[in-house]
Amino acid sequence: MNETVQRFTPPSGTPPIVQLKGIAKYFPGVIANEDVDLEVMPGEIHALLGENGAGKSTLMNILTGIYQADKGEIIIDGYDREFATPLQAIAAGIGMVHQHFKLVQAFTVAENIHLGWDQTPKRASRQVLESRTAELAKKFNLETRPGATVSDLSTGEQQRVEILRVLARQARLLILDEPTAVLTPAEARELFGALREFVSGGNAVIFISHKLDEVMEISDRISILRGGRKIATKETSDCNPHMLANLMVGREIVLADMRGRGPDAAPVSEKPILVLENVSAADETGAKALEDISLQVHAGEILGIAGVAGNGQRELSQVLTGVRPVTSGQVFVDGKPMKGANAAAFAAFGIGHIPEDRLHSGLAPALSITTNAVMREYGKPPVSSGGVYNPRSALSLAKDIAAAADVTIPDFGMPVRNLSGGNQQRLVARREMRIAKRVLVAAYPSRGLDVGAINTMLRYIVELRDAGAGIILISEELEELLNLSDRIAVLYEGKVMGVVENDNLDIEEIGLLMGGRKKTKEAA
Amino acid sequence: MFGTLRLQRLPSSHPGIALAARVAAIFIALAVAGIGIALAGMNPIELGGRVISASFGSTFGMEDLGVLVIPLILTGLAVAVGQQIGAWNIGAEGQFYAGAFAASAVGLFVPGPQWMILILMFIAGVVGGAVWILVPTLARAYANVNELITTLLLNFVATLLVYYVSTGPWRDRSGMANSATPPLSADVPYFWGIVHWGFPIAIGLAVVVALALAFSKWGYEVRLVGSNPSAAKYAGIPVRRHLITVMLLSGAIAGLAGMLEIAGTVHRLQGGISNNFGYLGIMVAVLARGSPLGVIFSGALMAFILNSGIILQTQGLTTSVVLAITGFILFLTAIGDELSYYRITREKA
Amino acid sequence: MDILTGLLTTAFLAGGVLALAALGEVLAERVGVVNLGVEGLMAMGAITGIATVTSVPSPMLGFLAALVVGAVFGMLFAAATVLLRANQVLCGLALTLMGTGLASTIGRNYSGMPAPVTFEPVQIPLLSQIPIIGPAFFSQNILVYLIYIILPLFFSYLMFSTRHGLNMRAVGENPAAADAAGIPVNLMRFSYVTIGSALAAGAGAYLTLAFVPSWSDGVVAGRGWIAVALVIFAGYRPMMATLSGLLFGLITALGFIGQARGWPIAPAFLSMLPYLGTVAFIIVPVLAWQKMRRAMAAPAALAEPYFRDMR
Repeated sequence: MNETVQRFTPPSGTPPIVQLKGIAKYFPGVIANEDVDLEVMPGEIHALLGENGAGKSTLMNILTGIYQADKGEIIIDGYDREFATPLQAIAAGIGMVHQHFKLVQAFTVAENIHLGWDQTPKRASRQVLESRTAELAKKFNLETRPGATVSDLSTGEQQRVEILRVLARQARLLILDEPTAVLTPAEARELFGALREFVSGGNAVIFISHKLDEVMEISDRISILRGGRKIATKETSDCNPHMLANLMVGREIVLADMRGRGPDAAPVSEKPILVLENVSAADETGAKALEDISLQVHAGEILGIAGVAGNGQRELSQVLTGVRPVTSGQVFVDGKPMKGANAAAFAAFGIGHIPEDRLHSGLAPALSITTNAVMREYGKPPVSSGGVYNPRSALSLAKDIAAAADVTIPDFGMPVRNLSGGNQQRLVARREMRIAKRVLVAAYPSRGLDVGAINTMLRYIVELRDAGAGIILISEELEELLNLSDRIAVLYEGKVMGVVENDNLDIEEIGLLMGGRKKTKEAA
Repeated sequence: MFGTLRLQRLPSSHPGIALAARVAAIFIALAVAGIGIALAGMNPIELGGRVISASFGSTFGMEDLGVLVIPLILTGLAVAVGQQIGAWNIGAEGQFYAGAFAASAVGLFVPGPQWMILILMFIAGVVGGAVWILVPTLARAYANVNELITTLLLNFVATLLVYYVSTGPWRDRSGMANSATPPLSADVPYFWGIVHWGFPIAIGLAVVVALALAFSKWGYEVRLVGSNPSAAKYAGIPVRRHLITVMLLSGAIAGLAGMLEIAGTVHRLQGGISNNFGYLGIMVAVLARGSPLGVIFSGALMAFILNSGIILQTQGLTTSVVLAITGFILFLTAIGDELSYYRITREKA
Repeated sequence: MDILTGLLTTAFLAGGVLALAALGEVLAERVGVVNLGVEGLMAMGAITGIATVTSVPSPMLGFLAALVVGAVFGMLFAAATVLLRANQVLCGLALTLMGTGLASTIGRNYSGMPAPVTFEPVQIPLLSQIPIIGPAFFSQNILVYLIYIILPLFFSYLMFSTRHGLNMRAVGENPAAADAAGIPVNLMRFSYVTIGSALAAGAGAYLTLAFVPSWSDGVVAGRGWIAVALVIFAGYRPMMATLSGLLFGLITALGFIGQARGWPIAPAFLSMLPYLGTVAFIIVPVLAWQKMRRAMAAPAALAEPYFRDMR
């Protein structure tokens, strides 16, 4: 790695920019943080590593004044501080770019930059705000369009707005929460360059991530969180991914080769089981979301869909499951052309769907576990016959699904939102697997889950593949796609940029495709 | 010593606590009313006793209660049914009048034997209510226009319409009453004393709706659409069709309430046939937490409160006090519902 | 000429009720709180105005008393919905029932009585000489100038051209973002709901002290609800809300003229016009304003209680 920027070494005796001592935070039934110590020195990029649910975001929310710690101290530049409101943290020079941006979508870039800022002039008309924003952008060397409405910007651009907002308030400690989830590999590299320049002036960065390679590349020191506690802080130069993974999870993980097939596994079929032929589709507002897409999935194979979120993945999964009609082109399942938006017909034809946002599209959070479990089979015997719904049969089916999902449920009548995210996802997955005789569309199945739950999900998918279904796996984690897919298609702005065999794949190539550059070689 | 106490918000509320909150709300509201009465120079305990003896102490009292229970159960059911599909039907009052209007048209101008007129009035009442909610329903289903205000505004139109016909073209020209129509040609037969057959009809309808929601495929789909239309869409359920059907059903039930009231209790169409039944129906539905079966009990409770107001009119209290107290109960119930999500836990020291 | 002037005069006068109430509701909804208690607040303001004026012969005092009463009820509502985060729709309906019920009860003693003193018209020199517009607008009572000129201009400027307004609008769009930016979300919501409630009650006092001007049971007649609907129609903008109020004043004025001139339509149907018009005006723009949807869109976080410490 070329270090083009001079590394900042603080003079001896300089206090850390921020020190957390003995921080604890509790939520109903959950210990989010317990006895966490952390210190960040000037000039350092400090990574905070841990799986989902380890307590990284909570800790940072405490540091930025959104939550208040139940125990412990925060020390800034050697002085004991308490942040009752986010404003106080901002005033102390702490700025955070959240994983889910805290931007007002309906406002312009300029308006968002000037939100809640005491340096905003009292008379703040559009022109004034926009010219000030242009100046700031130039000063911090971050390209942005002051007059654009945020909802029109790409996620990468929105992230730049967030960073500019934080820098404008003279943050000395910049906290980034999973920033590369929304970036292509090239954009991620640009971000890293900007971060190194930022710390070279004596500032510091806390970089939250669950991606081992990234953390190794960018950080000077790494702190690992697990189960709400800090396990260790190490110099990055002393680490390797294997050891970090173990510390993160607390046990030896074996990264299984999920692409291998056992002797009983169904072979990849000759004829495709699902075909999209020149399919175009629009999103809710009527804008073009998918453009002239042609894809094929075979039974017994996993087709991965790579791409930064927001490039048509949602509409693709909706078209594949019959929730959204196509504006042109055809969808064929097992040779049969499927008509329009008829999700029930698609499901009846053996197409299951693990949706991107299970609480929004896959479950009714306020209804009972039983009601949610039978969502795909409520209309057929044994649950219903002749229009009559039998709650006892429904309960029995729900129990079967819960058993297959390995979820212990004390009361099937309680609202499904009472379950943990991992349990909900497993329930949805097994529910869909029961009806996915031909195809399973899995959209971001591991999002928001810890490593244990992720492994389970991926095992389910492999199980279904071996039983002879064709799987479409949409994911933002390239590692996951490489582990599982037989072939990978890249989606960019609603178009398929290329489909490649997963054979000694060049990540550079995929990265280019994700960023919109056309591919050089074609796959079969 | 005790460790620190912590207040936490859970993702779901405990139904027992929600019920307790409602009971508490009613007691607090009655206590405040009692204080108000005392401040006005009257004895609340004595008044309370008088109300109870008047309501339950004689068959006439019980029958008065029974008569009030009918429209309240039905309007409460109408609102509760709307809530099942995720819609706020605040227009039950207007649909009530529309049902009464349509039924009166039949009862005043259609000739024929009693039993046939009654059946036609029944149909007219139901259709009248459904028609009155049609425009807000279509606006919600096709243009996503919030039905709360559209249904409510039509209340005023319906009351004006009924006022117009009952004091104008349809009025009883044969005598003293200048503000009502002649008696209708058919009556709903009496069931018990002056309580007509609307009573078992109302209870029966509530039971039927409850059964349909719990034990039919249609009921399952309706519950799912009402709770999360996105998930219903992904499950292939025709969301719009169910929305329209259920909202029209809600209007129809309120229209039925109107028909039963004029054909069973008032026997002629006039301006003030509703004692705010449509608005009190909202309270009935909220007290019952949206349960069609629960509406039977909260409807009875609401009838008692309304009846008390009527009884106390002799003491100088107006029925608008009932409206204010009901509003207060609703307010406290809304707060109680939110608080029922919280739990106090003790952290070990 | 005569009809036109009369029409406009009544339109401005009648529209003032709706314009003031709608403006108050715009403020509340812009910070993300839908206050369905406007009808009840108006009723309380109406009776407070009359009651005050029978003791103290100053209509201005009656108006101010109504503002205070509205603010008090508004704070109750805000405490429940903003601080305790109870369901806004239910609390609003409750407020309407309470306000309407209480006002009817208190109002029995004042039923049908005309206001002993009212807001008298004030002629603006020079401007009131302009034909048609002069008598129609520049010879109105002092509240009209407040409602049509001072308040909308003030709030428009505040909301769209100042730092405070930027922060305030953010609260209604994305309270989490506003909170993270250091804006006091609950304080903003509480304050603007209170101010909006005060204005709604003020509209009620205007009704009984300037427009009708007397109290009778049911005098508010759903105007509070029309005002809430107008906010949607006006795209949550102060100037547009005021103009919408005027538009409805025009419809009401047409109804009056129809009755006075013996048009062959029954008075009851003329009275239905404002309600039917409102229903039409909620539905039609949604269909027609496809392009302008973003400009007229509701604040994104409208009616959602804000929980900062949410897992």
